[in-house]
Amino acid sequence: MKMIVTRPQYDITTKYLSVWAGEVINFAKEKGIEVFDLIKEKANKNDFTGRIKKLKPDVIFLNGHGNDDCVTSHDEEKLVEAGDNHDILRGAITYALSCNSRKILGPKVAENNEATYIGYKDKFIFVADSNYSTRPQDDPRAKPFMEASNQVMISLLKGNKAGEASEKSKNKFKEHFMKLSSSQADPDSLQAAQCLWWNMRNQVCLGDLDAELK
Amino acid sequence: MVEYKNTKKILSDDEVRELVMARLSVLSKDTMISLGSEGSFTRDELIKSVENGDNIGEKLAEIQLEWLRSFKERVAV
Repeated sequence: MKMIVTRPQYDITTKYLSVWAGEVINFAKEKGIEVFDLIKEKANKNDFTGRIKKLKPDVIFLNGHGNDDCVTSHDEEKLVEAGDNHDILRGAITYALSCNSRKILGPKVAENNEATYIGYKDKFIFVADSNYSTRPQDDPRAKPFMEASNQVMISLLKGNKAGEASEKSKNKFKEHFMKLSSSQADPDSLQAAQCLWWNMRNQVCLGDLDAELK
Repeated sequence: MVEYKNTKKILSDDEVRELVMARLSVLSKDTMISLGSEGSFTRDELIKSVENGDNIGEKLAEIQLEWLRSFKERVAV
């Protein structure tokens, strides 16, 4: 089984996403999955397109900024764009940890019967602590967001169907939301709870919901 | 303009803005919020955005309203 991961890393947001995606990569490697990690400058359109055509991966994990019609690369070039190269995601399950791409790119990818696209219909938002910006993996404020998001990939790699993986991720968002919304919660926790709820509401699974990694 | 799902508008834009600023003002000063490609913002930057009514401020108001709506749905959670 093959997995391609893109991990641009050039600002605080992409650094957090990239570092936390490392947990998914480690988990995949433990499961014996071949991982092709396009990190930093390697997360560019040429390398990405070439790898996909050559390897025909079963699962694709896109991290980075996005827009209604695209997900971007390390230098903010459009990595995958609706109407341009969205077809390269055919035959795979894609999870885009990126803003807004469910609006145009996701449906375009999911037009194809052999594709599944999990993404967000609005901004993916997270709370962090500025004292941890050089070591995001230890940031306790970011942890609930990243854990809940990573649950999509962890569930897929465990053999769950795409629709189930998305549901498990939403349940994780909900679980953290409930914890942080308790009546004893501090203001930072309440703010985080709002953002967790937002992400949970905006995550969507399109296309073949029964697709699974075999 | 913040989008409301209810036809009857219970809170005015100004009231929502005040609510959001009140919430933000009690955050720790080292709290950051990442809003995708818009960037990552400190508490004070977020308050300024809400005051100015820019895109970031509007998005925070939207998140706040979505959260308020969640109370209705949480019965089913």
